[in-house]
Amino acid sequence: MLLRVVIKRLLAMIPLLLVIATLTFMVIRVVPGGPFDQERNLPPQILANLNAKYHLDKPVLEQYFLYLGRLCHADLGVSYKYVDRTVVDIIKDAFPVSIQLGGAGLLIAVLIGVPLGTIAALRRGTHIDHLAMFVSTMGLSLPLFVVGALLILVFAIWGKALPAALWESPLHAILPALTIAFKPMAYIARLTRASVLEILQKDWVRIARSKGLSESATIIKHVLRNALIPVVTLLGPVSAVMIAGSFVVEIIYAIPGMGRFFVTAVMNRDYDLIMGITLIFSVVLVITNTIVDVLYMILDPRISYE
Amino acid sequence: MLNTGCARQSPWQPGILRVNLGTEPPTLDWHLSVDMISFEVIQNIMSGLTQYSNGVDGAKLTCQAACAKKWEVLDGGTRYVFHLRDDIYWTDGKKLTAKDFEYAWQRLIDPATGAAYAHFLYDVINAREINQAQIKDLSKLGAKALDDLTFEVRLNKPAAYFIYLTAGPTTFPMRKDIVEAYPGRWTEPQNIITNGAFKLDSWQHEYKIDLQANEKYFGGRPKIDKIKMFMIPEQSTAFSLYQNDQLDFIDNRSFTTSDIAQCKKDPNFKTQALLRAQYLGLNTLKSPLNDVRVRKALAMSIDKNIFPKILRRQETPMQSWIPPVLTGFKQDSGIAFNPEEGRKLLALAGYPGGKNFPRTEVLYVSREDTKLGLEAIQAELKKNLGISIELVNQEFKVYLTTRKLHPPHMIRASWSADFPDTDNFMSVFTSDSGNNYTGFKNKEYDRLVEAARGELDNEKRALLYSQADKLLCKENAVLIPLYMATQCVLYKPWVHGIDVNALDIQNYRTAYLEGSN
Repeated sequence: MLLRVVIKRLLAMIPLLLVIATLTFMVIRVVPGGPFDQERNLPPQILANLNAKYHLDKPVLEQYFLYLGRLCHADLGVSYKYVDRTVVDIIKDAFPVSIQLGGAGLLIAVLIGVPLGTIAALRRGTHIDHLAMFVSTMGLSLPLFVVGALLILVFAIWGKALPAALWESPLHAILPALTIAFKPMAYIARLTRASVLEILQKDWVRIARSKGLSESATIIKHVLRNALIPVVTLLGPVSAVMIAGSFVVEIIYAIPGMGRFFVTAVMNRDYDLIMGITLIFSVVLVITNTIVDVLYMILDPRISYE
Repeated sequence: MLNTGCARQSPWQPGILRVNLGTEPPTLDWHLSVDMISFEVIQNIMSGLTQYSNGVDGAKLTCQAACAKKWEVLDGGTRYVFHLRDDIYWTDGKKLTAKDFEYAWQRLIDPATGAAYAHFLYDVINAREINQAQIKDLSKLGAKALDDLTFEVRLNKPAAYFIYLTAGPTTFPMRKDIVEAYPGRWTEPQNIITNGAFKLDSWQHEYKIDLQANEKYFGGRPKIDKIKMFMIPEQSTAFSLYQNDQLDFIDNRSFTTSDIAQCKKDPNFKTQALLRAQYLGLNTLKSPLNDVRVRKALAMSIDKNIFPKILRRQETPMQSWIPPVLTGFKQDSGIAFNPEEGRKLLALAGYPGGKNFPRTEVLYVSREDTKLGLEAIQAELKKNLGISIELVNQEFKVYLTTRKLHPPHMIRASWSADFPDTDNFMSVFTSDSGNNYTGFKNKEYDRLVEAARGELDNEKRALLYSQADKLLCKENAVLIPLYMATQCVLYKPWVHGIDVNALDIQNYRTAYLEGSN
């Protein structure tokens, strides 16, 4: 059954990608400015040569079908800005870095967020609860660039304990991973707390306790397993966003990931690159949501997508 | 995964220079590159027919021998014959010949290449026609290898600035066998073959380029073994890395205006005047700026001396369009600060004390220094003329579209020299220029610029340019020159000999590391 759900989800992705590709293709061509507009104007013939080279001299509809034709052959086109590189080259270089950073961030967010929220719920109204909620409120309200700047100031410039930026060793990944994890960690902690508090009121928890089950076994087996369902729901889009890369974190720490292209490709009107990263992001989103659905079914066998 | 990079390590690594490029070079193909980042890398791995002299401290850049040991200018300036050195080798050991130049120039002008700067060679016989696909045969280009060591270039008419083009990346030689063997990938480190002081060792896209000293460099092996060129876009991050001894040499790309005060305390902080003019272009077709008295009044009412005080990078205030170090510069070609006269002119134009002055916009691209400068101009005009101007900020590509399709009253723009010659500035405002957004079309101005372009007598040329400059800035007030930008550099005590020139190219072939920590 699990396999059937996965296959169904992946097949449904094809028309979805076509819609996304069409919308993105049209929208980016409506935005003022083209890929070869620059501070100094190029002579008309030079501009014509460039447009001809990239088929931008053809009608938009023809360009669209040319693009779709190439897409069918897994050819995502070339970058107009980084002229020697294909979109696949760029994604191949940048995506693994974003996966590493986003994966580390996600791990930190879950490993800190879930226990923090659980402890806060179990110690409701105590100093521990207040402290945990203060930390998570900070995480939700502070912008990423402030978190990043604070971490660099404390751990790199004052403390000299960690590198301020760059992507040279696992040590270099600590501050960016903490930065990228901060906000999701706060969400997870708050959601876990609320969810655990709700589950603690359920009859089956009282029954488990009355039957003499130890507190830790009750929490892990009966409370957390049920409380985590909303958290897992959140993890789908959150992990997609984290894995696809963060513009702010990559810029602050000079990390060669994919997140920066979500902004720079648009600024450069780098049409094929915009299309490429949008499609990749869509694929990641569908895959993470499919994984979430599978996790649902494991956590709660009553859930079915048939 | 190389090292921890922590500040507790030795502050510098012998033989290794660490710098910040800022961003990824869009390409290392010198026919397709159009930006300063690519040029900076290319200039350090390649060498052309000539190279620029060291032009520090405001000295004029001149062309010196490089691959060409000497050259002759013949037939009234329409024929250049370059005699190449016979001891130049590419990084794969093959000898450089005039054929490598012939191929490179043909590829540059070939429309299939799609080279944005192909028009630099339009003075060469048949170049324009080939680039516009009117002539298909590339061998008809007036640039030929006469033998292995002689390269001849024939021009349609004399062009006084032509020699400067031979020092720029667009005219560098290229290896036909390499370009054809690795189409679209010949600039990757495993494929590229170069002839400059350094060679491309590795290229981690969006992160770092490593250059290594070229043992075969004809100018002698550089003293630096390796250059690590990081791509750190965020200025505050780069500045933090510099402070933590993880970068050895930084410039404007690595500190903000607010960091300048701190940088200036360092004895190793230097500024280099650039050939990069900042100006306000005035729309001469749009009311109220279609009245020359209004344009002059505006030009008279901005005290240019405010810019170095606000921007703090030792900018040079400008009155005329021709920069101080170039041929034809005269201080009095432009309009001097004279708010009293400005008020009179504005009154004569029908706006006494700025009354009833229509809504006037300045279009600009949001950048910290641009915004600061414009706010100062806004205050100056309010104080001196009693008028309010509106600042309209747009995203870069939207700004370019608006500027082209719906030119506003004024634009805040910048012009960086491609080569150190007055023609590169003056041709911006000719009637047929694609970069002239002022609506100014003046036959006399066009005639003067055209005449100066082919004039080989420098004194006569200077006179022609100063006349044109006066016509542009003083008599018609087509633009308000603001200031010449500077490049500020900050380097660690162990860094010596880096040549930063007025074209904003950082040349590392003369650099070395030595001294205390």
